[in-house]
Amino acid sequence: MSACITLEHVRFRWPGAQHHTLDIPQLSIQRGEQVLLRGPSGCGKSTLLSLIAGIHCPTEGQLQVLNQPLTALNQRQRDRLRANEIGYIFQQFNLLPYLSAVANVALACQFAPARRQRLQQQGLSVDQASAALLTRLGLSTAEQQLHAQQLSVGQQQRVAAARALLGAPALIIADEPTSALDQAHRDAFIEVLFEQCAAQQSTLLFVTHDATLAKHFARVIEFTAINAVQREAKHV
Amino acid sequence: MFKLACASLWNRRVSAWLTVLAIAVSSLLLLGVERLKTQTQNNFANTISATDLIVGGRTGSTQLLLSSVFHIGNLTSTISWDSYQHLKSLPGVAWSIPLAMGDSVRGFPVVATTGDYFEFFRYGQQQPLSFADGAMFANEQQLVVGAEVAVQLGLRVGDPVTVAHGSGGPSFSQHDDHPFVVSGILQRTGTPVDQALYIALEGLGLVHGEYIPASVESGDHGHNHHDHNHDDEHAEPPVYTLSAVLLGLQSKPLALRLQRDINTYRAEPMTAIIPGVALQEFWRTMQVFERALFSISVLVVITGLIGMLTTLLASLRERRREMAILRAIGAGPVQIFSLLVSEALVLTSAGLVLAVAGLFGVIGLGGELLQQWFGLSLSATGLTAAEWRLIAAILVAALFLSLVPAWRAYRLALADGLSVKL
Ligand SMILES: Nc1ncnc2c1ncn2[C@@H]1O[C@H](COP(=O)(O)OP(=O)(O)OP(=O)(O)O)[C@@H](O)[C@H]1O
Ligand SMILES: [Mg+2]
Repeated sequence: MSACITLEHVRFRWPGAQHHTLDIPQLSIQRGEQVLLRGPSGCGKSTLLSLIAGIHCPTEGQLQVLNQPLTALNQRQRDRLRANEIGYIFQQFNLLPYLSAVANVALACQFAPARRQRLQQQGLSVDQASAALLTRLGLSTAEQQLHAQQLSVGQQQRVAAARALLGAPALIIADEPTSALDQAHRDAFIEVLFEQCAAQQSTLLFVTHDATLAKHFARVIEFTAINAVQREAKHV
Repeated sequence: MFKLACASLWNRRVSAWLTVLAIAVSSLLLLGVERLKTQTQNNFANTISATDLIVGGRTGSTQLLLSSVFHIGNLTSTISWDSYQHLKSLPGVAWSIPLAMGDSVRGFPVVATTGDYFEFFRYGQQQPLSFADGAMFANEQQLVVGAEVAVQLGLRVGDPVTVAHGSGGPSFSQHDDHPFVVSGILQRTGTPVDQALYIALEGLGLVHGEYIPASVESGDHGHNHHDHNHDDEHAEPPVYTLSAVLLGLQSKPLALRLQRDINTYRAEPMTAIIPGVALQEFWRTMQVFERALFSISVLVVITGLIGMLTTLLASLRERRREMAILRAIGAGPVQIFSLLVSEALVLTSAGLVLAVAGLFGVIGLGGELLQQWFGLSLSATGLTAAEWRLIAAILVAALFLSLVPAWRAYRLALADGLSVKL
């Protein structure tokens, strides 16, 4: 197995902040792994994800995603890498409210020629693949045509998952996607997410502050263990 | 991106429609003013052609032009019949049309002239007058009606018409004892010719008691007017004074010299103007108003565009979540930037399409009313190059203005990244 994400001596400080939010000496996640990243609120988990997604750049250190040194890529190349190879699920409000569920899923291919190409190789159109994925995630054909704002939060999160998964990107990042769901829906959601990630061999990086989810994952990373920045230090 | 912009706008359709409406109305105003300007200018230039000089009593050139060609205003100064004879005899004069004005029929001016008017008068591109019905007046009791007057007063050939003295309404003293009969109706010209009635000089003389027809003359020798000019070698003039004379010359270059000669004529003070030059001078004075109108409509368009700018900027606040989603699926700041630019272009284009449709709608449906109420004749011809340029200018202005919200969205997209704390 080759590495999916590698961090070496990565430090990150928000512009204008006095202290580093992140100081990660070493972190490595292999391709195909399903990893839970757990840490208390405000410790910098989302910040780390935005570095991995190529939105922000580390202040110092080396960050490689899918063998691409992000620090060496320019903004456009990072955006392109994210479009093609990273599926991102937010905690909430993942969807454009004025598009139907299926159109929201198809949006994943808007800026991602590689995803479109992979679907083509399977002989699927973007719309077909979106609908098929939504069906597998448990949305009926009628529900797929509803506008995002007409769906329940649980349905919305499944649509978001479908969008992240469409076109088999190498890495799925989920930033507390289940925090708005109840216990039963949460477990079901994680189940289908696992299933699909395994089916298309996508790496899953799942972030939460909820310790009870750890039982689902083979590998659990405690954020405080990898981040050298002490929370207390930040508040001094 | 374009489809996304449309979908996003549709989601905010109330404010989007209002923005489109503001742009449409303001652009309609601008296009309307532009069309009005060029078409009035054309109409102006088309009112008279072939006439090389217009001669009247000592007066301003604009006043002479307005009264002789547009039948606007009254000429207080006149030229005598003798001076007219002198003008006719000047070397190089090919034809002359005497005009005597001052009477009216229900507000429409009555022009007393000779048959030469229908023979030599030209408008537009050297177009002669022609009759839609009937023929030119054959005697002093007949009258020719312009196309618009015929429509407005519902006159047909053979109808009786009473001429009133002065230019006012029917309350003025009416020459009831000299009713006229319509002998012909002119073809529409789109010029002030349509707005007047034409009688023979003799007819006017008769009305004013200056002229006695030959038949009466021979029967009643005691008439004082006749005695007055008893020993005159010339035949009795139909009228003693004329308002203006239109002159056609054998060659155009003669006009300048003749103009000087006439202006310095000793026997009577006269003013001669070259119609083309006078029209241009007059148009130049009109340009002040036309420019003012144009500037105001440009400002109104700018207001419309600033309205769009405001709407787009205000929408950004609520759309940070939307931007974060687009960022997450791989949109770069540049794409966010172009999303806002295309939104502005969609709004402006929609506004412009509406404006052009509105322009043709107004001309098509309201053209008649404009013609009747304001005497403005607009035609629904295709967009002119100047109008296309205005449309392009509005689009370019919108493009430039859209850079403001686009740049702001770009900054927000960079700062927010994926984490939007609402
Ligand atoms: N856009 C930003 N600009 C400046 N500072 C930021 C920004 N986003 C986050 N921070 C700071 O970075 C720190 C970590 O924030 P982050 O959102 O990564 O936490 P988190 O671990 O995701 O928390 P939670 O579990 O509540 O989502 C916080 O102290 C916050 O103040
Ligand atoms: Mg977070």
